[in-house]
Amino acid sequence: MQAIRTIDERVTPFLGKATTRVLVQGAARRIAVSYPFLHFLEKMPYTAVNPSVVREQLGGVPHELLAAGLDALLQECFAGLKELTGDLIVPPLHEEITRQLERLP
Amino acid sequence: MQSQSKAIASIDPSLVHEERLTTLRQQMEFLNTIGKRFVAANDRFQVHRALLATLKELYHLTACSVLLEGDPIELTFTLSVIPCYPLSESFIHTMIERIARAAEVMGFTGITEEELAILAYFDAPDDIAPFVETFEPASSGATHIGDCLNIPLTVENRIIGVLSLFDEHQDTFDTDSLQLTTMIADYAAVALENVSLREREMALLRDAVLERQRLELVIGSMAEGLLITNEKGAITSLNSSAQRLLAQTDLTLPPDTLVPLRTLAQQHEARWIADLAAVVDQALSGKIVMNQEVIVGGAEDAVPLTFSISAAPLYDPNAARSVLLGVVAVIDDITSHKQIDKLKDEFVSIVSHELRTPLTAIKGYTQHLIRRIERRLREQRQSQPPQATQSTQGSPLVQAAPELPESYDLRSLNIVQSQTEHLERLVNDILDLSRVQQGELQLEYSSFYLADVLAECVRQAQISAEQHTILLDIETFDSRVVADKARISQVIGNILDNAIKFSPQGRQVIVKLQEREDDYLVSISDQGIGVNPDHFDHIFERFYRVRNTASRQYSGIGMGLYVAKVIVDAHEGRIWLTSNPGTGSTFYFILPRTPRTSTLQTL
Repeated sequence: MQAIRTIDERVTPFLGKATTRVLVQGAARRIAVSYPFLHFLEKMPYTAVNPSVVREQLGGVPHELLAAGLDALLQECFAGLKELTGDLIVPPLHEEITRQLERLP
Repeated sequence: MQSQSKAIASIDPSLVHEERLTTLRQQMEFLNTIGKRFVAANDRFQVHRALLATLKELYHLTACSVLLEGDPIELTFTLSVIPCYPLSESFIHTMIERIARAAEVMGFTGITEEELAILAYFDAPDDIAPFVETFEPASSGATHIGDCLNIPLTVENRIIGVLSLFDEHQDTFDTDSLQLTTMIADYAAVALENVSLREREMALLRDAVLERQRLELVIGSMAEGLLITNEKGAITSLNSSAQRLLAQTDLTLPPDTLVPLRTLAQQHEARWIADLAAVVDQALSGKIVMNQEVIVGGAEDAVPLTFSISAAPLYDPNAARSVLLGVVAVIDDITSHKQIDKLKDEFVSIVSHELRTPLTAIKGYTQHLIRRIERRLREQRQSQPPQATQSTQGSPLVQAAPELPESYDLRSLNIVQSQTEHLERLVNDILDLSRVQQGELQLEYSSFYLADVLAECVRQAQISAEQHTILLDIETFDSRVVADKARISQVIGNILDNAIKFSPQGRQVIVKLQEREDDYLVSISDQGIGVNPDHFDHIFERFYRVRNTASRQYSGIGMGLYVAKVIVDAHEGRIWLTSNPGTGSTFYFILPRTPRTSTLQTL
């Protein structure tokens, strides 16, 4: 979620606030078959996701599956962004997010 | 660009400041220019022109496109392709493919590449339009896409479409100009949304104009007059029928002045204008007035011009609280109905009078015959001693005298008399109806005992209703009243006739008299088919007959109860009923002991 917020911060100045929301919702829709537990993100703006929503929606999901699902969501967000702006935003952002994720415990 | 700026900054800070100001001014001027372009755009084509002109100042691009979501529920889209110069078929194909992918990313589901290809509208600038329309790209036309950029079109945080930029060269679009392009897209989005709102507004306006025309046509072709007033009661509009109706009267509306009707009524002698003003005032006070008869013509007319006026308050539907705008009144000329009613009443009156003469003769001769036979029977019985016979046990048994043939004749004549009286009541009812219509029904007051009248009515009714049992229950010692005896007898007779008529044979009819503080309560209960409560409000109307399967077999003209009510009302009494279908009805009427007003009642 922190990674998605970073995407939002980088994308908003270029494409506007609504774009990240739509990107995440579209990404959630495309991975819904493989990771149905992320289906709630199709309807709910990611900005509304808080710890209680995470507990409610993702409480019973195994850690590995959750990590794989969130990674797929992130990759789909990047794919969507690439579809819109080509290589203008994605490469540096991808690099920043990767570094950010590496720093996570 | 940044390295150049750093180099300048190291040279002279004041120059850097000046250069920044110049750049800022240029940016402001650019934004101002594009802002004006988009604000001036009146339709989507002008928005496309503004968009293309602005983008061409930033980039060397081949084409751009605008995909707009129309109705999000019906999933309708529009796609405008705006080329800068002729495009090859493969270029267009790839464009559509890229737009479809961007649309999917933006969450515009339910739209395919094939549908977009069908939807695509080529809005080419005039100079290249002939090439685009023929779909024959010039040899120099773009053949493949080198770079592409898709920017969401956003209005108030809502994505309404996608702006796509295409160029046949690679690396046309860069990060530096991306932010500016987004800004241009925002301008375009707002301009397109405004155009869309304007189009919707125009469509609504067209619909409203059409609806108004339709309404005017309907109002204009109405046979009834339609009159609309403002909140002060001044006439603001009339349809042609209303103008025609008012032209028959002596009312001349002051031209172009909004004079309230009540003010007009004070200026005119004609009574009907005051009546019309009263109807309008009632509606202005929030009431709905239905079919108020207003006599317009003079007394010298055989049938005066008569209007039936209905009026209702007109409220502002857009106001949060009910704000009265005026009154809508419908005026119907019912003079011809009145003429027909008058002719009918005259006919009924004549026929009734004609029927009455033979009836009086029949009644008189029947009474004469009854008296003769009664006398003869008395004489015969006196001349015949009672016959005695011996019983089987040897004890003497007194046997009644054999019934004489005159006894049968007497019974038959009594029935003839009873039925004649019934017929007489019917004829009297019809005559009374005529009198009520002409305002000529008069009451002749006398002092009598109500219990005696009830007993006589019950006796008469019982003669011709042999299969029914009519019980009389008098719950008072004193029943003296001052009233019109014949009319009260008529009321009781009419209600009793109905009670017997609608009760199956063998059932009871109970007539009860109760004393109250200032009046008497008479009730007549039957065990008949009953009356549905839906009919309660109408059952005392003239010619009203309850029509249902149960009552179909019973004859009648629907006047007895009407006349009964007229008579009871004239005595300042009250008449009503309670009933349950299938179990019977009870009719009640209250009769004051003495008239509440001492003058002779004239209806």
